[in-house]
Amino acid sequence: MTRVAILRYPGTWSERDFQHALSLVPGVESDILWHEDADLAGYDAAVVPGGFTYGDYVRAGAIAKISPATRELRRFADAGNLVLGSCNGFQILCEAGLLPGALVRNRGLEFRCDWVHLRVESDDTLWTTGLRGAVLRMPIAHGEGCWVGDDETLADVESRGQVVFRYTDERGGATAAANPNGSLANIAGVCNEGRNVVGLMPHPERCSEALLGGTDGYRVLANLGPALAGTAPAIYR
Amino acid sequence: MTFTATIRVFPKSEVRDPQGEAVRGALRSLGMAVSDVRTGKEIVVTFEAADQAAAEDAVARMGRELLANPVIEQYEFSLNKGVPV
Repeated sequence: MTRVAILRYPGTWSERDFQHALSLVPGVESDILWHEDADLAGYDAAVVPGGFTYGDYVRAGAIAKISPATRELRRFADAGNLVLGSCNGFQILCEAGLLPGALVRNRGLEFRCDWVHLRVESDDTLWTTGLRGAVLRMPIAHGEGCWVGDDETLADVESRGQVVFRYTDERGGATAAANPNGSLANIAGVCNEGRNVVGLMPHPERCSEALLGGTDGYRVLANLGPALAGTAPAIYR
Repeated sequence: MTFTATIRVFPKSEVRDPQGEAVRGALRSLGMAVSDVRTGKEIVVTFEAADQAAAEDAVARMGRELLANPVIEQYEFSLNKGVPV
């Protein structure tokens, strides 16, 4: 069994969606851990779900980064363990310095709730094994998803292969029109240098079964099931 | 000793400020010759510290570790003795 810890902070709202989506992956079991007493010992991976932790006060993810759970998460990530952050979870990971760059207000100032396409740029993370080049369709729901970094950070993430997902049109073209929030270089998700921590603004947990309108999220989460690397079982395709 | 710090947080100059751009557009629509607008926030913190130097260290730490994200923001502060007037 692969054991996954799903962190819940005050204001997290996607933890049960993640637990449900992970329950569809054979060989994976998950627990939801409250941030004040999160102990990641014995877990193989940790997920930081979306939400509006602490009301997004100060900045999205800023207060969550000083929670005990984030300290524990840093220790867990530094030891090389797998971490995935989605939406507000991505914001928390950037605020905590576990991922490069920062997420700021969408360029158009609008909250974007939509389906987007994203191209998998790197399969050098466990989460994207076998998916390099795939164009995935996933929902987004965020007001502060514009990924930015200074010139050096952008050059580094590009040259080191740390861009994991890029917003594209349905044919995989990274056009300005396909960029929902103004992120630099259409970046939708990045990883750390160690490749064990990945964050993305879209919601893989909300597109993990056909009933929800898409199954591409399952293709990411299924990589946690050791026997499945990269492909969804036929029933979910 | 009681101190009051007024901390102003702004997006760094190289970071786009879409809120500032929207305000600039709105001010122009009022017929004003506005060339640039930057928006930020002001945070007023009342706290105890041993002396002026300790208070400055404390405010710097507040800015660095929580109130501003050095990737995208800069901050400045003024420090006064006593409670806010």
